[in-house]
Amino acid sequence: MAATGQSFYELYRRSSIGMALTDTLDDLISERRIEPQLAMKILANFDRSITEVLADKVKARLTFKGHLDTYRFCDEVWTFLIKDVTFKMENSSQTVQADKVKIVSCNSKRPGDPQ
Amino acid sequence: MSNNQVGTVYQQIIQDVVESSRVDFEEGGVDEHVLEELKQGWQSKLSQLGVATFPWDPKPEPQPTISNPPTVPSNAGNYQSIGTPPINQSQPGLPMPQISNGPRIKAEPGLESPLGMNQPSPYQNQPMPALQNATTAQQRAAAHLHQNYGPRAAASINAIQSGGQPQQNGNPTMQQLQMMQQRAALAQAQGQGMQQGQRPQITQEQYQRMMQQNTTNQMQQARQNGQHPQNPNNPNSQNQNGQGQNGYQGPPQTDGPGDEETESFGVIAQGGEVMGRVEIDNLIRAQIESMGRHMEGGGLMLPLRKAPSSTARGRRQLERQRLRQARNQRQENGEGQMDGGDDDDVKPEELDEDAINSDLDDPDEGLNDEEDEDEGMGHIMLCMYDKVQRVKNKWKCVMKDGVLTVNGREYVFHKASGEYEW
Repeated sequence: MAATGQSFYELYRRSSIGMALTDTLDDLISERRIEPQLAMKILANFDRSITEVLADKVKARLTFKGHLDTYRFCDEVWTFLIKDVTFKMENSSQTVQADKVKIVSCNSKRPGDPQ
Repeated sequence: MSNNQVGTVYQQIIQDVVESSRVDFEEGGVDEHVLEELKQGWQSKLSQLGVATFPWDPKPEPQPTISNPPTVPSNAGNYQSIGTPPINQSQPGLPMPQISNGPRIKAEPGLESPLGMNQPSPYQNQPMPALQNATTAQQRAAAHLHQNYGPRAAASINAIQSGGQPQQNGNPTMQQLQMMQQRAALAQAQGQGMQQGQRPQITQEQYQRMMQQNTTNQMQQARQNGQHPQNPNNPNSQNQNGQGQNGYQGPPQTDGPGDEETESFGVIAQGGEVMGRVEIDNLIRAQIESMGRHMEGGGLMLPLRKAPSSTARGRRQLERQRLRQARNQRQENGEGQMDGGDDDDVKPEELDEDAINSDLDDPDEGLNDEEDEDEGMGHIMLCMYDKVQRVKNKWKCVMKDGVLTVNGREYVFHKASGEYEW
């Protein structure tokens, strides 16, 4: 999936690890330690890396149920707002509950990316 | 459980990104230790979020280090680092080894500390209570007078105050400790003349409030009271006076009392806490107007016969609130304006337009709220979808390669299937 030259979703920059990276880069830029262009490259590396690692290394599965409050499909991105949601982790009986969760989901099959 | 996996997965990502960015760093001519710093910062920021336990966490044992600082270091050390920020602390073990301000605000070498005034040993505080009692008594008297007689009592209050001033000046050795920073800042920001009179009242809120209600006039009196009685006080208690000067002003003022401009600014700054905004605005406007009059009255750029009218115009430009009035005046003065309306004329219209636009531009508040709540450490799942199906109001989705943040914890998954009804 990760052919060279392929661009990756920037979706995961909103995750905690992505935010931590962006914050750190911001700090370095504001201290004039690095150029913004370099930061962009690092973020691109991050986009690729997290996509690959999630695809290759993670095996965990989970199921979730809830009440769909809002749905939206725009530019090939699904956005759901689910209320009273329960997540069930497989391989463990653990469940996690939340009042609501927002799901931002990009197409796993990228347009023009035969798979 | 997928939460346990998060640490290793993230470490792998970080490692991967660092490795692949090494080339970019080299190409950009950036030193490699910046990359290392990036990694460290990234990891520590991630640890701060506390979404999972990370492999790099256990080594420095973050939880003990977090819980330690309140208990392990001596209280003295803590007290100092909090109370006296930017000082060179030579003796961290002792409680209050030096007044931090000693070097900074020292007034005159002669007056200062042959008796070790700058070391607030516990003994020094002993004579204080008596003085403080005296001051509070005066305070109460003043408050009482003011309550009973209101503004009419101003003179009496001033009398009390001027009597109490020298002692108040001596007092702040204790208050100084608490308020050093503020004072240092204030000392730079304000006219020095004002400070001598006003400072003690800052620390004595009750009195201060009354004083400031009595507006400028009384403040000026207070200032005089503060300035002059101090000199006769000198022989009385050199130490205290020296201390008072230390507390109250930066370098000694040798060029006489502040002139009118600094004074009025001092009033503004002093009264800022209590005075209404309108009063402050008025003061500032008066100040600016007088400055404008000074400048335009000089008539550098204008023939003399035009000077008066131009003065009037300058004043008017400053009185934007009286825009209409100003326009009328200009017409009366017969000043022809050939270049269209000036900026003042345009402004209100722009504001009106803005008002209209703001009505039309009514933002989609519900959506924005939703966004805001979910930003940051909200509950969010970032993933890719394989399938999204709907039958009537039943939805079935298959997600993959996701990161889920719920209840402050983070989970990664390879596959997630969800069912929910709308």
